[in-house]
Amino acid sequence: MAGFVTRREFLNLLGTTGGTAATLRAGAALGLLPGTAASANLDLLNLAGNSRKVAILGGGISGLTVAYELGKRGYDCEILEASHRCGGRIFTVRHGDLIDEIGNRQYCEFDDEPHMYFNAGAARIPSTHRNLLAYCKELGVELEIFINENKTSLVQDDAMLGGKPIRNIDYTTNMRGFMAELMAKAMTAEEMNSPFSESEAETLLGMIRDFGDLSEDDVYRGSFRAGYAEGGFLKHGVQNDMIAFRDLLQTRLGRQLMGANEGDTGPILLQPKGGMDKIIEGFLRQVGDRVKYRAMVAGVQVRDNGVEISYDQDGVRHTMQADYCFNCIPTHLMVGIDHNFPSDYVRAMKYVRRGEAYKAAFQARTRFWEDMDIYGGISWMNNPSRQIWYPTAGIHQQKGVVLGAYDYGGGMYHTKMTQAERIEAHLSDGEKLHPDYRNLVEKPITIAWHRMNHMLGCSARWQRSFGRGWTHEEEELYHRLQQPVNGRHYFIGDQVSMHSAWQESAVMSAQWAMSDLDQRVRAETA
Amino acid sequence: MNRNTFRVVAGSLLILVSGWLMAADDGREPFDDRYCTTCHGTDGQGNEGVQAPRLAGMEDWYLKRQLENFRAGIRGTHPMDVEGIAMQPMAAKLSDESIADIVEWVGSWPFKPAEVTVEGDAQAGAQLYTTCASCHGRDASGNEALGAPALLGQNDWYLVTQLKNFMAGYRGYHADDTYGQQMRPMAQMLGDEAGIINVVSYINSLAER
Repeated sequence: MAGFVTRREFLNLLGTTGGTAATLRAGAALGLLPGTAASANLDLLNLAGNSRKVAILGGGISGLTVAYELGKRGYDCEILEASHRCGGRIFTVRHGDLIDEIGNRQYCEFDDEPHMYFNAGAARIPSTHRNLLAYCKELGVELEIFINENKTSLVQDDAMLGGKPIRNIDYTTNMRGFMAELMAKAMTAEEMNSPFSESEAETLLGMIRDFGDLSEDDVYRGSFRAGYAEGGFLKHGVQNDMIAFRDLLQTRLGRQLMGANEGDTGPILLQPKGGMDKIIEGFLRQVGDRVKYRAMVAGVQVRDNGVEISYDQDGVRHTMQADYCFNCIPTHLMVGIDHNFPSDYVRAMKYVRRGEAYKAAFQARTRFWEDMDIYGGISWMNNPSRQIWYPTAGIHQQKGVVLGAYDYGGGMYHTKMTQAERIEAHLSDGEKLHPDYRNLVEKPITIAWHRMNHMLGCSARWQRSFGRGWTHEEEELYHRLQQPVNGRHYFIGDQVSMHSAWQESAVMSAQWAMSDLDQRVRAETA
Repeated sequence: MNRNTFRVVAGSLLILVSGWLMAADDGREPFDDRYCTTCHGTDGQGNEGVQAPRLAGMEDWYLKRQLENFRAGIRGTHPMDVEGIAMQPMAAKLSDESIADIVEWVGSWPFKPAEVTVEGDAQAGAQLYTTCASCHGRDASGNEALGAPALLGQNDWYLVTQLKNFMAGYRGYHADDTYGQQMRPMAQMLGDEAGIINVVSYINSLAER
């Protein structure tokens, strides 16, 4: 029948334009090929009284996952945590909390209210991070939607429009319009030679027109999508002025703005109500009695029949004999702790670089952003502070906590400053978005992960040349570090993943290690 | 309850609440300044992973001087001194009491020679070392009278970094860093990076004797 394409023909067509990878992915979408399997419950052998001792080094989420899961199966787990708190980089800062940056200790002075918190590390959970979400459900951690992209939030670049901040929606609507106009023009010229049928070409052109809200003649003349200059409810709306294409091109922030809902921030994002560390609290409700705090590991010796751990607590060196050891101490710190690991393993430990991410936050005296129709989300600045996040929590309350800086790529720029210099930098950066910012915010905190006691780094970086993918050597080192030493010692945490900086990676690394151990235990007991 | 009574009760509640808040302040997470081992490893044995040198076995007078230099900003403030910049703010807030406490704590750690990671021409290094020996001693065990620390047993990668820093003027740049200023021209005599590697290899070889 003319005008119809069979499913098979459609796949062939995609194959000729997009290559085989495109065919495979589309196949999964159409239900011909299997997609990624749904998260299965961990199938681990229950020891049933045949107890084995497990030493868990570090009370980060990967360590807690191991304590929880193996504890359920009859393993005798003990967690050694060097600091005063569990959670590692899952760190929610509230009234009175210690921020233990070496050389720049701070106590948080935010008001003591449930919504006055700051997620200084992990702050977002994509809805596709199903292993983490499964634990939230199982542990009774109440979740709410996290607002990430917000079209009414602001964009500011000194190079664009004289530095005047504009709404995200003004940028993206206009940019989409101009991009669509370019595509539509290219489309009509190419149509004759294209591999598409007339109907396909029409479908595509229709999408392009809708993408950019083009006029009938495929020209972009502004759009009501950017809101109304006036009216719109009781009177006809008056369209906002267009911003010239060339003006929009003066900022490079467009790369972030146009891709804000892609990748890990593409799915719906969630957060625990009251702070990310509610997840840690959930685990601790189950395994909290297994944690020794301020217990700093001083040695790990892997033996034929177990692992010997030494640790310092209350000024005394203790030893612990365990059958197995799960270790989420950052590799760069483990290098300086006594151990007898094999040299190829140590080589991998030394290869990993430490992340430098940096965040800062203020208490806002009023929720000034809500007066600007901004409810949650992120404003972007082309300056070192980069972003301001407006809190999802506490809508219409008197005060709120705003993120005042987030350098997720580098971070050393602010890390190297004194506390006073950092704060001044964020105030003067923030003034570009909100002219009265300096008077609207107070009680700053900064979190330089590179200097946090017992961590000295944000998420692990395996790739030396970022953006060019993993080298063969890097993959080999990574797989070496994932493998246990003598079937007894496992590194865990997001550092042993190819997607660090996400809780899901930490949880999955723990699950991988436990499954590997489980196979060995089953083989032994068979 | 009339309005006045209410005010009195509300007032005393406020006092109670603020009293509780102060108690909460007092109950804040305690801390001390003994965080050296986070970076410098178990018993201060050094950590190549964060380029933090061995403290165990370091002379108390030398450790004290360096902590004071870092605190005063006469070491670790040159923008090219990457490791020094990491250390400087950690020392910036130390009190004299804290420094004394740290020096005593470090003194309790057993000395174990560091692992050898640098390999060069030790014989060529021996020639270069004759200059070093006049202050640091023929056996590289240091000389307090001359203010020269022991080199033997220190992490070799740290010695390389520091010699490079002296050579480039990233360390010993400050007029108040008396000993650092003396060391700068000495480091020049090593010539280049190969010279540094060779002299450090020679120092490594002294441990085996």
